[in-house]
Amino acid sequence: MRSTKVDEQTLYQATAGWLKSAVDILKGAGVEVIAPVETDPGVVELAAINSSEEIVLGYANVRLPLKRLFFPITEVLLEFENQPDGDIQMESEPLASPKSEVVVLGARPCGVAALEALDKVFHWDYDDVRYSARREQTTLISFACTKPDPQCFCTSVGGSPHGTEQSDVLVYLADDGQALMQVCSDKGARFIEQLKDVVKPAPAGTKSPAPPEVKAKFDPEKIKTWLDENFENDFWTDVSLKCLGCGACSYLCPTCHCFDIVDEANWQSGQRRRNWDCCSHPMFTKHASGHNPRPDQASRCRQRIMHKFKYFPERFEQIACVGCGRCVRACCVGQNLVSILTDIETKANGGNNSDAE
Amino acid sequence: MEGTTPMPNESSTNQARTLIPLDYVASKMKIVSITDETVDTKTFRLEFCDPQQGEQFEFHAGQFGLYSVFGAGEATFCIASSPTEKGYIECSVKRTGKVTNELHQCNEGDIIGFRGPYGNWFPIEQMQGKNLLFIAGGIGLAPLNSLIRNCLDLREKFEDISILYGARSVADLVYKERLENWEQMNDVQTLYTVDPGGETPEWKGEVGFVPTVLEKMKPKSENTIVVLCGPPIMIKFAMLSLLELGFSPESAYTTLENRMKCGVGKCGRCNVGNQYVCKDGPVFRCSDLKVLPEEF
Repeated sequence: MRSTKVDEQTLYQATAGWLKSAVDILKGAGVEVIAPVETDPGVVELAAINSSEEIVLGYANVRLPLKRLFFPITEVLLEFENQPDGDIQMESEPLASPKSEVVVLGARPCGVAALEALDKVFHWDYDDVRYSARREQTTLISFACTKPDPQCFCTSVGGSPHGTEQSDVLVYLADDGQALMQVCSDKGARFIEQLKDVVKPAPAGTKSPAPPEVKAKFDPEKIKTWLDENFENDFWTDVSLKCLGCGACSYLCPTCHCFDIVDEANWQSGQRRRNWDCCSHPMFTKHASGHNPRPDQASRCRQRIMHKFKYFPERFEQIACVGCGRCVRACCVGQNLVSILTDIETKANGGNNSDAE
Repeated sequence: MEGTTPMPNESSTNQARTLIPLDYVASKMKIVSITDETVDTKTFRLEFCDPQQGEQFEFHAGQFGLYSVFGAGEATFCIASSPTEKGYIECSVKRTGKVTNELHQCNEGDIIGFRGPYGNWFPIEQMQGKNLLFIAGGIGLAPLNSLIRNCLDLREKFEDISILYGARSVADLVYKERLENWEQMNDVQTLYTVDPGGETPEWKGEVGFVPTVLEKMKPKSENTIVVLCGPPIMIKFAMLSLLELGFSPESAYTTLENRMKCGVGKCGRCNVGNQYVCKDGPVFRCSDLKVLPEEF
């Protein structure tokens, strides 16, 4: 979905107050603007805004992943109503937001990079038209990370606090409100063009700031070599003993894309909806016959890790993890994906920390 | 169905292929007839409400669809009729869960939803000139029914055709009328069996589990393709018997029945290893299953 024509070297600069002008210009042009707002004390989410005063900055990341703008938590696929003559009237829902253009101002690079994985899933063989329509109408303006938190591990999975994957523009915000901008796609160039009154090309020789340090914690290649050989291993039981199977890690994961399709109806009419689902739940794979291919939490924990670091790369040539750290932050029993993966890496290196147990 | 995986395990993420737009909206189909197969299994014959859709609809034996009762939801079943029969499709449904219960409440004339056909299909081209051995257990005869009827319509293209079908009891045998037809055909060898204790005084078929009867049947393995469909436990032991009889896993095909929601490789539910049963299957060569984790 990215253009290669765009010169990614050119930087643009904006003076303090550009954010307010940007929101005003976009709103004036009828564009829906989505930006980080504080929904609860200390909780920042992406939401539609009316004015730039609602925007909060300086947060590590938004709580819910960006994916929900394209692949909502729940959405109506079609509505149906029984007719008196026995027929059924069906109406499919409009494909995307009624506004024709959406700009996300202030996504994080990891959340945007995760869309690469989702694009592959929703766009192979069959094109998920709902996802694609929303993706098409949205311009993604990422704000480079300045203060990653201790749970962030993007650099371990090929990302960066200044990553540009799938972003249309990457913005480096300075503390004084000024900004440098890097255009990454045609959509991004259009965004800069719209803001030409407040955003100008930076003087030649201007350099983008160095990214803050996020230490690499494991090597995914090594993880995969171990996973290739260890479908059967007691390690999976050890990992699963703590897991409640609540699914918080999957629901908050920016690359998880499992969903359920259910009907909600009364005797007269109803809706068919698509809802987020999660492979950690016991019923996820259970057949009507009672047979369950993944009958215990160990097999379900294994599936989650195998899928992200082995199956998905085999199928779609990338890891299904961007290192946002949400699963680590959210786990109510303190399960830590990073420590599971570093344990695996130790085993891959011939270490025996829990093999010996 | 151009663009769908023609053969097991050949699909890829190749982006060059034409994408098929998908909005998950079901087509309306009318139930034109209902046949009681057993106490808990019914066969529904369905016609598209939109005649144009009916004319354009094509599928291959082995493919499946998502059938929905509006208000209850969608469920996955194979298409049990033959691709050579035009104008309608059939599905055989055992009453086991929410959607199947609702389907069983439906009457002729009722309207249900259908999405499909999805998935790959049996390699009928590669089966030409070979002996065919069909092994089915219980409701597993439904997908095989589509293939058997397809093969019988093209009878001269195949050598010997044998059908081994087993069910828990005489009352659990599905497609009874069709079983009799096949039995009376001169160019088809049939062997029907019921599990020990499932027989009636009038039962003239075999008594015993499918793998045991298979060993007694001693089918020849040379130039033979086997297609197995049934409960996982039957497939497992029937496959062991086949190996004893000299068959290779390369010459055997089966279908996997993992749960599905989308049917097109998105929802993640039918995922086994790096394969999607809905896209890379449901038809798998038994030798290809060996490299997959046992999560089916």
